[in-house]
Amino acid sequence: MPMSVRDWAVKFSDASDNDPTIAAMAKYFTCKYLWDMEDASVIVEMVDGKVYSINIDPGPMDPWDFALRASAHTWREFSRPVPKPMYHGIYSASFRKDLKIEGNHLILMQNLRNFIVQFELLRKIGVPV
Amino acid sequence: MAKHSPVIGRYVTIDVDGCEYKVFYLRNGQGIPLVCQHTAGCHNHQWRDLLEDAEVTENYDVIAYDLARHGKSDPPLNREWWKEEYKLTADHYMKFINAFCDALELRNPIFMGSSFGGNVALQLALHHPDRYRAVIPVEAAHYAPGFYIDWWRHPHANAAQVCASGVWDLMAPQSPDMDRWLTWHYYTQGSETFKGDLYFYSVDHDLRGKLGGIDTSRCPVVMMTGTYDYLTPPEATEETARQIPGGIYIEMEDIGHFPMSENYPLFRNYLKEALRLIDERS
Repeated sequence: MPMSVRDWAVKFSDASDNDPTIAAMAKYFTCKYLWDMEDASVIVEMVDGKVYSINIDPGPMDPWDFALRASAHTWREFSRPVPKPMYHGIYSASFRKDLKIEGNHLILMQNLRNFIVQFELLRKIGVPV
Repeated sequence: MAKHSPVIGRYVTIDVDGCEYKVFYLRNGQGIPLVCQHTAGCHNHQWRDLLEDAEVTENYDVIAYDLARHGKSDPPLNREWWKEEYKLTADHYMKFINAFCDALELRNPIFMGSSFGGNVALQLALHHPDRYRAVIPVEAAHYAPGFYIDWWRHPHANAAQVCASGVWDLMAPQSPDMDRWLTWHYYTQGSETFKGDLYFYSVDHDLRGKLGGIDTSRCPVVMMTGTYDYLTPPEATEETARQIPGGIYIEMEDIGHFPMSENYPLFRNYLKEALRLIDERS
């Protein structure tokens, strides 16, 4: 039984806001992104390195800058403490698995360093699918 | 008492296609020359642990250079290089390596390179088999499209971070944090050259249909790729080695695209096996 999206959002906010690697370069980490996990979706809004909000029930007209979309299976693989090959990052999974990166890639690139650190927090806190 | 490394750094000036390059290299060891090429957009410090590996340097003269425009090797000193877009070609790349080896008067060296250094190792085996005792293409394939992209030097993003974090998951999650972040750090330093290097890696390097021309009796080829490399996945290297008559493929478990800098203690086990195989054949 996966954790609820609400519980996940609390854990993720706490992990991100207290992560020293993000904090070391947090000042301009500002963006809004969608994670589509097939059975659950969230929109995370970052402002200056902190989680400003997490929309745990996004509607079709709710805006975001860029999105990661993959099957629930792939997201579960992302969240293993040591992911298997090709599930160990957003590039590897988009080149070799079913991850799709959509939206404004420029904003992803502008925030890439911290976004990738944040993505790997899933290995510690898990996913809600 | 100061703690000095046995590794020595020097410059040597060479001419390649009329370009004057003052090339920086690090060196330590004795015996068979082992010439090491760093990955695209990076520099020779990726080989820092190999250069200080006493077991290897006891029998091998390890030499790791910075390719022109990388690390401490400047762009050509006799050209207004800033007026041209940098695009590395296979022909110029091979001429550079040959000229560098000639300048150091290396006799029959082993050439080892990773990623775009691995791909040029294949080119050397095909075009200059009698100059090299053997080649070790690491994380290489006969054709590697898909990485010649504009994001590496897009003016609206922080190119240093785009390059460094863009190659982050080329490394295995098991590799030590310190070594992965050092590799990240190196990758913040070469963003302006990275894309030009990848012109060779993903565009100009194309040995499809040509691998049968590599004569491994003159230049043995030992290929090695890590299981976490998504850019040149193990099956791509294995397929390349299969098409080379006498080609050897070694799969490296739990390591990625920068094995020498992301996890040297693991990489050295595979490297020692590659050197043993070459020793048997030469």
